Amino acid sequence: MANMPVSEMRLPPHLAHLLAARRLDTAKDVLSLPEVELMAVLDAGLPTARAAVAHVSEAACPPCQTALALLEERVRLGGGGRLATTLCGLDEALGGGIPMGKLTEVVGPSGIGKTQFCLKVALLGALPEYYGGLDGRVLYIDTESKFSSRRMIEIGQKSFPQVFRQEGLAQKMAGRILVTRPTSLADFTKSLEQMKVTLLQHDVKLLIVDSMAALTSLENERATGFRQHPLRWALSFLKSIAEFSRIPVVVTNQVRSQSNVDGYHFSFEVDRKDGDNCTGGFDSHLVAALGIQWAHAVTVRLVFESHSGHRFIKVAKSPMSPAVAFPFVVETSGITLLSDEGIDVTGPEITSIRCQGKNVLAQ
Amino acid sequence: MEERMNQDQRSTEGRCGRFWNGMDLLKDVTGSKHFLPTGLEGVDTLLGGGLRQGQLTEVTGPSSSGKTQFCLHSASHVAAKHMGVVMYLDTSNSFSPSRIATIIDGTPGLFCQRGSQSTIFLPFFLPLSYGFDLQPKDVRLKNIMRSIICESVFDVFALSEVLHQLEVSLLNDKEKNGGSRICLLIIDSISSLLAPIIGGKYPQGRAMMISVAMILKKLADEHNLAVLVTNHMVSAGNGAVKPALGESWKAVPHVRLVISRDRGSNICTATVLKHTLLASGRTTKFVVPS
Amino acid sequence: MGSGENNPLGAQNAWDMLSDEQSQKHITTGSGDLNNILGGGIHCKEVTEIGGVPGVGKTQLGIQLAINVQIPMQYGGLGGKAVYVDTEGSFMVERVYQIAEGCISDILEHFPHSHEKSSSSNKQLQPEHFLADIYYFRICSYAEQIAAINYLEKFLGEHKDVRIVIIDSVTFHFRQDFDDLALRTRVLSELSLKLMKIAKAYNLAVVLLNQVTTKFTEGSFQLTLALGDSWSHSCTNRVILYWNGNERYAYLDKSPSLPVASAPYAVTGKGVRDVVSSNHKRVRVT
Repeated sequence: MANMPVSEMRLPPHLAHLLAARRLDTAKDVLSLPEVELMAVLDAGLPTARAAVAHVSEAACPPCQTALALLEERVRLGGGGRLATTLCGLDEALGGGIPMGKLTEVVGPSGIGKTQFCLKVALLGALPEYYGGLDGRVLYIDTESKFSSRRMIEIGQKSFPQVFRQEGLAQKMAGRILVTRPTSLADFTKSLEQMKVTLLQHDVKLLIVDSMAALTSLENERATGFRQHPLRWALSFLKSIAEFSRIPVVVTNQVRSQSNVDGYHFSFEVDRKDGDNCTGGFDSHLVAALGIQWAHAVTVRLVFESHSGHRFIKVAKSPMSPAVAFPFVVETSGITLLSDEGIDVTGPEITSIRCQGKNVLAQ
Repeated sequence: MEERMNQDQRSTEGRCGRFWNGMDLLKDVTGSKHFLPTGLEGVDTLLGGGLRQGQLTEVTGPSSSGKTQFCLHSASHVAAKHMGVVMYLDTSNSFSPSRIATIIDGTPGLFCQRGSQSTIFLPFFLPLSYGFDLQPKDVRLKNIMRSIICESVFDVFALSEVLHQLEVSLLNDKEKNGGSRICLLIIDSISSLLAPIIGGKYPQGRAMMISVAMILKKLADEHNLAVLVTNHMVSAGNGAVKPALGESWKAVPHVRLVISRDRGSNICTATVLKHTLLASGRTTKFVVPS
Repeated sequence: MGSGENNPLGAQNAWDMLSDEQSQKHITTGSGDLNNILGGGIHCKEVTEIGGVPGVGKTQLGIQLAINVQIPMQYGGLGGKAVYVDTEGSFMVERVYQIAEGCISDILEHFPHSHEKSSSSNKQLQPEHFLADIYYFRICSYAEQIAAINYLEKFLGEHKDVRIVIIDSVTFHFRQDFDDLALRTRVLSELSLKLMKIAKAYNLAVVLLNQVTTKFTEGSFQLTLALGDSWSHSCTNRVILYWNGNERYAYLDKSPSLPVASAPYAVTGKGVRDVVSSNHKRVRVT
């Protein structure tokens, strides 16, 4: 609605003409200026500028809904708005499964099982509803060429043997996965821009991006025209796609190792460490720059990590549950939880990512 | 707004045309103009007595360094000493009457709603009623606090309006009573009102700032007011900070103080950036009592 | 000068303001310890910024406040409604429902005969009624955010029972979509003044949730709230939520009347509450 044209706003004629004459064509044009600057541009007095701002704001403001109406809409759309992963403990912690209309991040060191997880989820997107799937197409953006239909079918045959016994069903399911392999950030961005149309055309019910971080390495810091952080733009665009089309969006992210073990603290915490009995100095392992932005922007964050000889899926961020971790292994049937009873995670461990005992950072 | 700006320029020009001799100036400076103490020990010494009537004093500092406390203390102290009416213009809803009452009364925590006097303390719920009984000494408090007037101002145009109304009121006072009841004008913070208009496409932003500055100085001078304003800090690159409002503002106040607060304590440091009579660079520590 | 009684923005003397202030109710956060350092809870007529790292509970607290503002007056609350401006899509309506249920269950626990009362003016103690009194705006860009805040001036005039406006989070869109940083500062300065005005004029609490970023100061990287210097002066109060070992803590960083202080709090299935003794196993949400 920021790009809503002024001409569509049904403003009083004198205001509409004034704005048009100064080439202020969209809501964004009008609202990106402080009042006094708008006065200068319009060459008008304060009351006129304020009236223009008030009218444009009212038109461009998204409609208000009560939380009850939201709930009723959610119920009406059915399914509780979740895609169950069939990993029971995880689904419970997430309030049913991966949320629809929101961004879910899967982050962890390479080789830990993120792609295996994505393959399973992709399969679930394709499966018919009576098997717990979304019965639709899945758009899989594969930036590292890791997608393997064969592996996905194997997972399917082992996890849902009764389904895949059916002749030709495996091929049908595989056929529902649309894989694209962008070769550059520009490629990816272009496909994002057309995403809304693509999703509608192909009746896509699930979007997976595996992986986001690889895109930065594809592009060697050339000017892309997206201000400072092209990935930030992609992130917020993905979020809006998720909400607009009400489908789950799963994004994987990679880690790099951290050179110093020091974490980050607020300035008022610095002096307090003398009196505390916390060992080893700083123990909050938050990530810098893009990492923290990601953490803020996603709704659900699943951290895949390894320590003490096991691998864990940790629900690090979820509106529905405090942090909890589940040990898992990767078998022929894909990811399997060793226990549905999660282990509570508290404190700085929630945000840290451990790879064989060492702390690592998400990119 | 523009008409007002032109008017102000004319009147200052009128005064500028007058010739003063050295003795007149000295008498003018040292004679009728008093200091209004802030009540913060150390600061009053630093300033040679306090906030000077007829002058503009600016206090600048990073967030949470004590600027608002400085203003609240000054207002409380001046009112408690019955030096006159204090006019307090608040741009961030930070004027705290309970804090003023605590400062005047001297008893810590008197007006806080901390803890509970109700019979059952329900952690989730708040006490159902708060007690506030009027004691005899509160009559004194009431009289003092009634001489502090607070008005919220949220944009620079409203500020101009308020200042012009103030000017009219002061002129009336002068006519009827020979002098003004108001002795201290505080604007906390003037920089938040000026921040949206400076540095942009609006060509008169700077001019408006200067116009406001001139009105303040005129009010200070003609009606013997002390004017206290606060300014915030902005980044100066490489992690450094500097006072907001830029170069054009630097010359405006007669006295500029920078304050900062030691992490997690009540001890603040004030340094003189600029002073018409005293050397700059002098510094002191002061305590903001809780 | 305008009189304080007729015009909420007019001049008032400090004594009258004191008695007004003494009769003001605060919005409970759900945690007594947290309420204590805040002087009773979140204050109306003030802008309170709450910042913290991801996962520490900013949105949880925002939702808790949107529910708690509605606690009926006979139970010590304000009996008001809430506006929730969601800029990141963090508002999960099922969680809001849970928190409403938690609040209602606490009311029934402390006021055991309340379900027997039947008065038409009573808010029915049903989660649906609490959800119905939260006005939700979903914002997807800074232009929409500015439009919404401007529109609120009219909206609040038409909905005088709103007593809290929550913006979650206030700086998100401004961090990424603004090229001209000097213009951004000017626009944000103006926005913060508008929020101050709304708080005062409509006698409600404005709560701004803010993200955390790292900044290189004093020789090392430290955590700080987003948009630092250009924004840090734009609130009446500031609270920072952080991890202290394994516990969640809130630090009151800025207040005109209260000293800096820290207090622990917990996020449970029912919402934001006090920390129970450490032996008690925390309840997980299902």
